[in-house]
Amino acid sequence: MSGEQVVTLRAPWRVGVDVGGTFTDLVVQDVDGRMAVAKVPSVPADPSRGVLDAVTAAASQVGLTVADFLRGCAGFVHGSTVATNTILEGKGARVGLLTTEGFRDSLEIRRGLRENTWDHRTPFPPVLVPRYLRLPVRGRIAADGSEIAPVEIADVHAALDVFRSEGVDSVAICLINSFANPAHEQAVAQAVRAADNAWPVSVSSDVISVVGEYERVSTTVVNAYVAPRVVPYLRALDTTLRDLGLPHGVLLVQSNGGIASVRQLESRPVNLALSGPAGGVGALAVFGRAAGTDDLLSMEIGGTSCDVMLMNNGRVATTDQLMVGGYHLSTPAVDIHTVGAGGGTIAGVDAGGMLFVGPKGAGARPGPACYGFGNTQPTVTDALLALGRLRAGAYAGGAVSLKSELAEAALTGAVGGKLALSAEQSAVGIIRLLEQNLLNAVERISIERGIDPRKFALVAAGGAGPMHGAAVGRMLGCRRVYVPRVAGAFCALGMLHTDVRQDWVRVFAGDLDGVAPEALARPFDEMAAEARRVLRAEGFAPERQMIVRVLDLRYPGQQSSLQVDVDGAFDPAAARHGFEAQHQRLFGHIQPGGRIAIVGLRVAGIGKVDVFDPQAPAPGGQGVPAAIASRRAYVDEPHGWMTVNVYRGADLRPGHRLSGPLIVEEATTTVFVGARDVLGVDTAGNFDIALLP
Amino acid sequence: MTLDPIALALVQNRLDHISRQMGWVMTRTARSPIFNQSHDFSCFLTDAHGTLISQADGIPIHTGGGGFAVRALLKAWAGQINPDDAFVLNDPYEAGGNHLPDWVIARPVFVDGTLAAFACNRAHQSDIGGGAAGTYNAEATEIYHEGIRLPALKLVDRGTLRHDLWALLKLNSRTPELLDGDVRAMLGSTQIGAERLKALLEDYGLAQGLALIDGVLAHADRSFRAALARLPHGVWRAEEKTDNDCFEIRDIWIRVALELNADGLTVDFTGTDPQILGFKNSSIANTWSAVYMSLASFFEPDLPRNEGTFRCVRIVAPQGTIVNARPPAPMTMCTVFVAHEIVHVIWRALGLADPARACAGWGKSIHNGSAGRIGTDRPFVAYHWHCMAAGGAVDGRDGFNQIGHLIALGGLTIPNVEGYEQTYPLRILKHEFRCDGGGPGKYRGGTGVDYLVDVLEPAEYSFRGEGLNYETGFGVQGGRAGQGGAMRLVLADGTIVDPPKYQVRRFDQPLRERALSPGGGGWGSPLERDPHAVLRDVRDGVVSLQAAGDVYGVVLSDDSRAVDEAATRARRTTLAR
Repeated sequence: MSGEQVVTLRAPWRVGVDVGGTFTDLVVQDVDGRMAVAKVPSVPADPSRGVLDAVTAAASQVGLTVADFLRGCAGFVHGSTVATNTILEGKGARVGLLTTEGFRDSLEIRRGLRENTWDHRTPFPPVLVPRYLRLPVRGRIAADGSEIAPVEIADVHAALDVFRSEGVDSVAICLINSFANPAHEQAVAQAVRAADNAWPVSVSSDVISVVGEYERVSTTVVNAYVAPRVVPYLRALDTTLRDLGLPHGVLLVQSNGGIASVRQLESRPVNLALSGPAGGVGALAVFGRAAGTDDLLSMEIGGTSCDVMLMNNGRVATTDQLMVGGYHLSTPAVDIHTVGAGGGTIAGVDAGGMLFVGPKGAGARPGPACYGFGNTQPTVTDALLALGRLRAGAYAGGAVSLKSELAEAALTGAVGGKLALSAEQSAVGIIRLLEQNLLNAVERISIERGIDPRKFALVAAGGAGPMHGAAVGRMLGCRRVYVPRVAGAFCALGMLHTDVRQDWVRVFAGDLDGVAPEALARPFDEMAAEARRVLRAEGFAPERQMIVRVLDLRYPGQQSSLQVDVDGAFDPAAARHGFEAQHQRLFGHIQPGGRIAIVGLRVAGIGKVDVFDPQAPAPGGQGVPAAIASRRAYVDEPHGWMTVNVYRGADLRPGHRLSGPLIVEEATTTVFVGARDVLGVDTAGNFDIALLP
Repeated sequence: MTLDPIALALVQNRLDHISRQMGWVMTRTARSPIFNQSHDFSCFLTDAHGTLISQADGIPIHTGGGGFAVRALLKAWAGQINPDDAFVLNDPYEAGGNHLPDWVIARPVFVDGTLAAFACNRAHQSDIGGGAAGTYNAEATEIYHEGIRLPALKLVDRGTLRHDLWALLKLNSRTPELLDGDVRAMLGSTQIGAERLKALLEDYGLAQGLALIDGVLAHADRSFRAALARLPHGVWRAEEKTDNDCFEIRDIWIRVALELNADGLTVDFTGTDPQILGFKNSSIANTWSAVYMSLASFFEPDLPRNEGTFRCVRIVAPQGTIVNARPPAPMTMCTVFVAHEIVHVIWRALGLADPARACAGWGKSIHNGSAGRIGTDRPFVAYHWHCMAAGGAVDGRDGFNQIGHLIALGGLTIPNVEGYEQTYPLRILKHEFRCDGGGPGKYRGGTGVDYLVDVLEPAEYSFRGEGLNYETGFGVQGGRAGQGGAMRLVLADGTIVDPPKYQVRRFDQPLRERALSPGGGGWGSPLERDPHAVLRDVRDGVVSLQAAGDVYGVVLSDDSRAVDEAATRARRTTLAR
């Protein structure tokens, strides 16, 4: 961050750290809303080093020692990819699984679900527990929770002998129908814990008590698989930072978009699967407030992929079905649609002579051809350089230097030569096709939910998002594109604005209209008491605790549920209304007066953290700032090449308005504003681009 | 006219996005689980002549077959197709349908007053009348027993729904509410598709837009020819059988000759056995789709699946055979069987031409349905999906131990036991891999499963045991076949029943059903299988110690935890003689 002014902070402040594949981002914001951003290279072999490097860089940027920087920290929130990478790299524990006799193979059958059916030659990813370590336990619970046959603890002891001799270092337990009655599972867990080995034990009814043995066993096994790698890592990081001066310990972002302490995550590390990108939820909340709208679509584009999220009426869509590295996880998670479209995405021409862009990427190394690290296939970044949208020379804080001649050679070699196009024409084609793919991704997440994207504002974030936001927003029919000033540290910023959150789920069977309110109250109250206990232990006074009760409802026979909040006392009529309104929007019809089944109860325990809103920068005053440069750049199809002014982000202040085409060079991103677009700077200092008809 | 290569890429991308979007709308708005769980539908776009220009999503057995329907309606309604019309049809003999339960909705797209294209979908309805609830009547001997037959009908006339026709359609279904919801979802989906396709053509102007679409088809043609170019020219013959005609056990053969030369590929079914009494006869649209699907799945997964891809493919299917039956032969089952046999016979022949890409056979399904009442009122229909069969191996991948139908390339979600027990009066006691069920090979076929279930109420059983009692997952390149399926019922009073292949029978008492689902075929010689993979199979209990020694030639240490390398080499040398 050379050339940036030193920011002087006033304690306390909050810190968000997001470890990405290429960069580790840190955002710090103090009690007055002053903000500083640090970006350092990630260290994949030891992600905690990236975290410590970022802390060191940020401390020096605000003129503090590391100890003083950490001591003033009221909240240290971390998005960690350690669980995700353990799964993706296949470096987890050797797990032993105990299952009900007759059901050893649910984990490997995987319900027959193939990600791409046409690609039938690709094997499933390796099963995480080999069959010879999936061992049966006799005993059976019926679908209604009654016991058909008692559990045989002798089978557990026999299995543990095998686990010992096979070097198992983590145990998972998942028995049929345990969601209806966990007694057998708990008895098995007790027998395992009583054994002399210090195995971490993952029990399905504790990890996630949902109906469906496949998703439950898969989630439980992944939990067992990552636990011995993730938990010691988090404890060590927590200890290191505390030893350096951090007063309260590290908080981790979970897949559900909420944060939790290391201690809370020790039994459920699987909840970290989406830890990084889920930080975007907090960012959407901030930008929704700043932009004055509850309806946002976001497109966060990095080097390899684009994550799309949707916030409708202030709520970010969630799901219970996640897929990480080909493994199913059934945990509450923010719904993020990811496509292979980023700065490093590779373009080429297929065997039939058609231009393609993606989904493969060049990664951080060798990266785009113009980096000069040996890749000769053209990428999106090469196309942007050839079109004058990016500047040759120092890039990404000086980490690399972009070379135009390498970009042009790659474009000509892999695309232009095959299609009789110049390097520039090839670049135009690549960008247009990429932007169409981005459009498709945003349309998908909205159309699948029955939502018209035109009334939404599009948030363009990530290092590469602001380059394409205006073009994609225009194709989508949006009127506004919102570009955060710290677009390149979107998730890290979001982490500063995220509440502590833990979810509990229970299976329930009943009719919405026939259920006795006390039958609902008991499980709800039990879960709520547990939620309050956890929040109290985390230091949240009662007035900072928020308990949300939710019903999972469906028409009998449907395969998926809709979630309806219970506000105050249970009112079946209000719940029916909530269900029908959602059903109408999502599916286009309802069954008037139809029977509605309650299939699950959820409680979310939320601990409200202190958030500091960003400080409004000083207004820009009269007139417009001067451009720092101008260069020839390709604008769009009707306008072709134009001379385009380039502005320095720091010169653009609240109140400024500039007509495109123009380019803004910010510390973590480059913003491209089209010929018919008007760039405004709002009071929060972010860019609000109006797309004029 | 030379085409702008950038515009061409954008148009192809947009066409595929439109057909996918239509699928999302279908899934979101349909009522029956057939649409939103089993995905038994496809969405497609055609040009004004009924040539398929995009089918990005949808069940594989619908590949490339939609054009028959559009061409049939163009013939029936020549000169009378207007903006905002929509057509419905299903008949495989008269209207380009594949089988009666799959209804097609086709919506014309007009640009500047000219008929330019169609946006369509094809989807399986929950019930269309006929001799059995749920569209599959195993006792049908004529198409009249299988449900209502629809020629190309104008369902929406210049934007107005024909209520008389709508009432007729609903009156002919046992589940009129589901039919109403699903056909409305189809209409909504084609409406979106038609609007988007019209916008695309208007963006480029009609003439240029159509030229670009032709360019998309030409690209697909080039892509498939490039895939074929890796094969030598020649003729390859193969045959595949089913062991029954739904009523009696007798072998029925499907025979094919593939001829590849500079002009393209000819797929000739001459020599295939005559059509049969039961409902497995194939329609022409289904046979074409099965051939296209076999070809597309044999090569790269990202080949375009529009009709341009198959421009160089000529299909000869003699009338009166099981792959092109004459009316009034029944044919509802054909999208599974004989489609499975057609895919198998083409894969067998292609495997001779391109051994490295050869695909072993997938086991044929055996799962039955149980229908009855819970207590006195609540009816239930439960399919025993938990005994689905296994997949075959390819070079580099063992067969899937349990997977959905071949004709969907496995695209079926096997329900969770727990969800099933919540819904149906079943108690499932076992759902585990078979030992030695998979066809031995360098890459082993899938094992199939051992399924044990108590059906707790009296019920009617509809048997569809195609894969029972014979080997159905063939091996390739020296790989061997997977084991056949088996099924036995034991009634509460102790009576043992060996079920028929296709029939409906009622048992007035609870019973226990045991099924061993068919294994898939192996790829390559079992003597070439990595001994450590065999060790793992033995440790996993999916290959017996005996088979490891006798079939794979792998000798293990005394504790069965390591490979005895020297003894294995010696054993394999002996077995290879």
